[in-house]
Amino acid sequence: MNFPTPIPLQTLGYAAAGAAGLTIVAYILKIRRRRFEVPFSTLWQRVLEQRDANALWKQLKRLLSLLLMFLLFALIFVAALDPTEGGRPREARTVVVLVDASASMKATDGDPDGGNVPRIEVAKQRARDLIDSMGGADVAMIMRVDGQTTPLSRFDSDAPMLRRTIDHIQASDTPADLYRALGAAADALRDRQNPLIVLISDGAYTEQQLEAATFDPAAATVDPTAPAEGAPAAAPAPAADDEVAARRKAYEHKNLAAVDLSGIDVRYIPVGSRSDNVGIIAFNVRRYVANKAAYEVFIEIQNFGTEPAQRQLTLYSGDSALDVKPITLAPGEHIRQIYRDLSGGADHRLRASLRPVEGVGGSDPFPLDDEAFALLPERKRQKVLLVTEDNLFLEGAMLVYDNIEVFKVTPAEYTARPDALLEGMNVVVFDDFTPAEVPPPPVNAMYFRPEGDGSPIPVVRTVARPHITEVAEDHPVMRWVSLADVNFADAQAFKLRPELGESRLATAVRDVVIAAKRLEGRKIVCFGFSLGGTDLTMRVAFPLMLVNVLDWFAGDDADLVTTYVTGARLRVPLDGVTGVAEAVVEGPDGRLTRAPVVDGVATFYGAEIGFHDIRAYAPGEGPLGRRDDAAAAGATADADADQAEPIASREIAANLASPEESNIAPASTLTLGGPTGRTLAAPQTFTKSIQRRFWIYLLLGLLALLSVEWITYHRRVTV
Amino acid sequence: MALLARRGKPATTQGAARAADRSKLFDEGFLKKLEYLHMVSRKVFTGNLRAERRTRKVGSGIEFADHRTYARGDDFRYIDWNVYGRIDKLLLRLFEEEEDLHIYILVDCSDSMAIGNPLPKMHYAMQLGAALTYVGLANLDRVAILPFSDRLLGRLPPARGKNRIFRVFEFLRQCEIGGRTQLADCMKTFVAQNKRRGLAVIISDFYDPKGFEDGINTLRYNRFEPFVLQTYDLREASPTLHGDLALVDCETGELKEVTISRALLEAYHREHEKYCKDLELFCTARAVPFFRTHTQIPFDELVLKIFRSGGFLR
Repeated sequence: MNFPTPIPLQTLGYAAAGAAGLTIVAYILKIRRRRFEVPFSTLWQRVLEQRDANALWKQLKRLLSLLLMFLLFALIFVAALDPTEGGRPREARTVVVLVDASASMKATDGDPDGGNVPRIEVAKQRARDLIDSMGGADVAMIMRVDGQTTPLSRFDSDAPMLRRTIDHIQASDTPADLYRALGAAADALRDRQNPLIVLISDGAYTEQQLEAATFDPAAATVDPTAPAEGAPAAAPAPAADDEVAARRKAYEHKNLAAVDLSGIDVRYIPVGSRSDNVGIIAFNVRRYVANKAAYEVFIEIQNFGTEPAQRQLTLYSGDSALDVKPITLAPGEHIRQIYRDLSGGADHRLRASLRPVEGVGGSDPFPLDDEAFALLPERKRQKVLLVTEDNLFLEGAMLVYDNIEVFKVTPAEYTARPDALLEGMNVVVFDDFTPAEVPPPPVNAMYFRPEGDGSPIPVVRTVARPHITEVAEDHPVMRWVSLADVNFADAQAFKLRPELGESRLATAVRDVVIAAKRLEGRKIVCFGFSLGGTDLTMRVAFPLMLVNVLDWFAGDDADLVTTYVTGARLRVPLDGVTGVAEAVVEGPDGRLTRAPVVDGVATFYGAEIGFHDIRAYAPGEGPLGRRDDAAAAGATADADADQAEPIASREIAANLASPEESNIAPASTLTLGGPTGRTLAAPQTFTKSIQRRFWIYLLLGLLALLSVEWITYHRRVTV
Repeated sequence: MALLARRGKPATTQGAARAADRSKLFDEGFLKKLEYLHMVSRKVFTGNLRAERRTRKVGSGIEFADHRTYARGDDFRYIDWNVYGRIDKLLLRLFEEEEDLHIYILVDCSDSMAIGNPLPKMHYAMQLGAALTYVGLANLDRVAILPFSDRLLGRLPPARGKNRIFRVFEFLRQCEIGGRTQLADCMKTFVAQNKRRGLAVIISDFYDPKGFEDGINTLRYNRFEPFVLQTYDLREASPTLHGDLALVDCETGELKEVTISRALLEAYHREHEKYCKDLELFCTARAVPFFRTHTQIPFDELVLKIFRSGGFLR
């Protein structure tokens, strides 16, 4: 008889003692009796005297009442202990079922008869079979394994519940993290009876993951602070060096990062049959720095099969095909394809697609890596209104940027009809001129030496002969710009208001002389100096900085737009966003999730391939509203609440880009722990054991006793 | 203090309050019933002479009553010489003495008589006593009424003639009530105060912790003719109680904690029956007329029953 109660015995003991005390107190306490007037109590006295002749029986009945109370509490107490007969036989096991739900499990070669059954479905069926073969004393926990490891249930012997849990598993677009899964399973099985891990997978893991496990308890439990083996506990000082050397030697031979699987039986159930996969393992695009209208695309494709493969590679811009190319790959061959000098295209979203063609190796069981996505840095031609009294330096610098169209007016003309002049403009540049009002959105503005109340950033004073001491190199405007040894006759010092989105770009000691600002959907850059009073115009930094400003205004990024990989935590910088704690991520399926933003970088877990749109809203706005608005969580992009304009947005592309996952060749056997490790066998059939639990019978007995007590009391048998 | 108060005699109960209200005790309907009873008594017992109730007393009357053997010291004048001539035995002739009969109606007005449903036993006893008084007055007997509990609570002197009945009503309405039942003490007082022997009708529940025997014997030993009418309430004979109760004696205030069960109720019922039987046996064994009635029986029915059985009207 076992008592596998989840309540500590000591707690139950205290509860039982308390209940017994209360019972005795209740037994001692007298009830408050109803008074009733009788004409002649002598008769009652005589009756009671006759009954007192049976005093022993009367006392016995009271004693029986107390004993009955104790019996009732004893039944409750024992029921709480959950007595179990048949117990947990030695064959009973504690099982963690690791169901591989990584991207490779989407391969449709699960059916050995050739049907298009995904591997994940076969893995789920294997898991259900395993649960069905469990005995009454066996308990199992289901864990889903992909880039993250997710326990889906507690340890339980409830087969229907476990089957339902398995039914809901879906494969993701991420590689599997076996190391993390084994670690979680080992932790869950710590100090449990007959621990067993059953891994149901196609075995698509890296050697590094397979080696990061050990079945040797000593290898993972060495305490580096303990004396080395064989060394005296208190070695004399001359031996200290030897001891340190011995400890270091022992330490260097330990794989401290390995998952300790000592004492745990690990089994493996393979799924999958085919390995003839051709997949895109890299896809990137970038504009030329010199000619931002053109761009080049890099694609890397590999044939993971053992047969030659033919595919048709198509490059799309949006829905328009830019290029279609048939390719042939030898077994194991991977090719790198570069498309140079591409231009045009309807969309900045690029997509590469592999399509099987008729012929040898024309089928592909793993479609997930046949598509890849990339984003082209967006370009747009800007109209720039230059408000100046003939500044050759400025006009000359504008000439180097071929993606703008410059319109020049004098300050007098601008003052006369600003609205008409700003019509259709993207950027306005004020050279030594400060209009009374800041141009309305969406016109971005660049000021040189603003002054007075018209300055978008308040001017506090004029600094004579400032020297730039600090530059915000992480800001797009100041990228690749060096302002060291630049001379200025004077410069305006700005007073920043961070709450209004103002940030410093360059400072002279404590004075901010170059500042940027986001205001009502437009961007403003203020240079505190006049171009006529500096030698900056003679430096390379000037046109570069000018181009940076115009690129920042346009939202362009000449850099390579990184293509992210799924299965990892993605860190996406949001351009200059401050004061925002979280952003909204719209995934490829349209679902909205939250992503925390720290130092202008949004972080979220990439679980799907495709395009993700990250948007930052002002606090309290956006489609998900406030954090406590739980009802809105999980809403889709077309929710009515999506009315607010984001203060910043960024689009990224996420691809599988994992050769290990694309290599879908199933491993019939797995060896954990490297060459000295253990090859995993298939799990044995579970030994059935009958387990009988008695708590329900105890409670039924309790109810029966209470019924008897109730009936006998009200029938006046026991009073 | 509260505990002591509970231990003592309970305050005026609802039953006592009900018993104290005797304004509607002798209404028009009651008077009609009395007249009916009087008619019946005259019809059934015709031939009786006015003021000629014969006592058991053998004395100097003119109507022959019986013979008895001559004993030394008897008056020779009453020897029946005719009989001596025929059977050669000396027998003495006995004559019944004729005198006015005194009827004493002793009504128990103790606290226990205040209990009863639908009307308190005390009211029932008073109606019964008034009815018997009326019949007695109508028969030109001298009837006195004496309520009692632990003492004699008053006395309506013997009177004759049925026109006195209204004084009887008034007396019964006004008389003091309450107190414990102490039959023996009351009867001692009664016999001491009333030298004229007669019929002593005791209407009571006889719930005396000291017993009923001494009281009745006191009457007997003092040559009164006891006439016992025991009244009780059906609910006190077969109470319908349940649960855990504190039983309070309405006279002594004594408290008894009991848990009522069916067995206990049955035992009490048996004990009550036994008590009543003991009273009946005591009376019949001593040739004392005894009637037991409960308050559900109309008093006029009981009076008729008394008439039929004799003893009260002869």
